[in-house]
Amino acid sequence: MVSHRLTLDYDLHPGWLAPFVEGLVAGRAMARACTACARTSFPPQRTCDCGETSADWVALSGLAEVRFRTRGADGDFGLVAFEGADTLAVVALDGLSDGAKTGHILASGGPLARMAVGDLENRAAP
Amino acid sequence: MYLTADAVEWTLAQPMPDPSIVVTGASLTPFNRRKDGSGFRDWAFEAFTSALAMSGLVPGDIDEMYLASESDFFSLQLNPASILASEFGLHDIAATRCEGGGASGQIAVHAAVRAISSAAARHVLVVGVDPSASSLSGDAMRELYGFSFDAWTDGMNGVTATALYALSYLAFAARYGTTDADLAHVTHQNRTNAGRNPGAHLRRSDSLAEIAESPIISNPYRRLHCAPLSDGAAALILSRGDVVPPARRGASRVAGIGASGDHMHLGARRDPGMFQAKTRAMQRACADAGVTPDRIGLAEVYDAYAGAQLQGLVGLGLTEKPGRDTASGVFAADGRCPVNLSGGLMGQGAPVGATGVAQTATCALLLEGRYHAELQPDRLPDYALADTHGGICTTAAVTILQRGRA
Ligand SMILES: [Zn+2]
Repeated sequence: MVSHRLTLDYDLHPGWLAPFVEGLVAGRAMARACTACARTSFPPQRTCDCGETSADWVALSGLAEVRFRTRGADGDFGLVAFEGADTLAVVALDGLSDGAKTGHILASGGPLARMAVGDLENRAAP
Repeated sequence: MYLTADAVEWTLAQPMPDPSIVVTGASLTPFNRRKDGSGFRDWAFEAFTSALAMSGLVPGDIDEMYLASESDFFSLQLNPASILASEFGLHDIAATRCEGGGASGQIAVHAAVRAISSAAARHVLVVGVDPSASSLSGDAMRELYGFSFDAWTDGMNGVTATALYALSYLAFAARYGTTDADLAHVTHQNRTNAGRNPGAHLRRSDSLAEIAESPIISNPYRRLHCAPLSDGAAALILSRGDVVPPARRGASRVAGIGASGDHMHLGARRDPGMFQAKTRAMQRACADAGVTPDRIGLAEVYDAYAGAQLQGLVGLGLTEKPGRDTASGVFAADGRCPVNLSGGLMGQGAPVGATGVAQTATCALLLEGRYHAELQPDRLPDYALADTHGGICTTAAVTILQRGRA
């Protein structure tokens, strides 16, 4: 057996997703609203299901309703509905209380821009 | 230039190539975590030479090769198709790598089918291989797999494959009323089958108590509801009907193929619990084969998790009552449509790139009556289904095989 360690330092560029990524860092849910049918996606879709590629960035309230929640050794994650979005989102549930049905998007703390939802009182200052 | 009457007659008198596509070779290495110092090149070579021997062909007969391998991260080998073609002595053929996450192997099978259908090739080699167990730590694999969904959303969230599958299954269970008992039934059935498969990774029959007490990874999924990652390889040789070696003329043939995609974000799907890409892929394969799902007499279904098998059975149109039909034995080894006789990914294991190739090879061997004796059904069905997907069924690819006529 040959052991080998490979260290990779990536510089990843978000491209069109930049408003979404910057929003996560600041604790804002930036969604895309289709200019043709108004369908609002979060996380954002570049091409709407109706086929339209033109869309406006809109800031959602950040409130999210938990539809399904899974917990265990791999962490705490949910499929949630953000207020104002027509799609659901998979998010990390960071410290969301047991049994909580709603939470608020959190400012992404680490080096990666994470979609995370926690208790309302832990929301970022507006 | 106009054709003369003679020329037209000459053109029409040419024998038409037989458009059927026959599985002349099929082979799997054992799936497990290798501790013998062997590497992915050894397993791929073993699968290739064994499939070639079964086919009765020689290396010079192979016109093209498709290699399924999910990630360079596992092997630390970019462009593996050219490396393996060279190792197989196939220096001068077109060797192409196919990648579609967990569906990579079945996508490679489809590429081979199309190469023959388009008259570009007569005999095509398909190889699937990945060192998914022995080359990286479990934590490294878990992190890499997080990036096999949308890296900018799911990946950076740190969500694992198990958590994503769990969320999808919870949505499915809310609609279909399936329970932990149904998950346990699938787990027990697949691992019991694997116990009769000498090449399986997890050769054990987990009791219902062991399943219920295994640690929770992402509820409702416990450790024993999950498929292991494995090392191993599989190979197929597909041949155009009119050039099949005489000894292989009764072999099974490809009746139909179908593939489809779904939205990469679980939350953007109309119902995040439904494997709609699988439904579309199956509809296309059935149309191609001229059959309906009720003609399928055995299936290898992509069971990365116990619930994914229940979701898959519905998506494929094999049942509308997944819990009831599983519990009543419809999909048991002696049932109307045995599912995952190999043990599936949950029991046989999953060297990811090899999976779809192995599922199709397993179906071919079963239809020929030459599978592992303890698992070989007495009565051979007319049709078998190999079902593979990548992502949370974001990429679906299915192949229907038809039993050959001896
Ligand atoms: Zn639209």
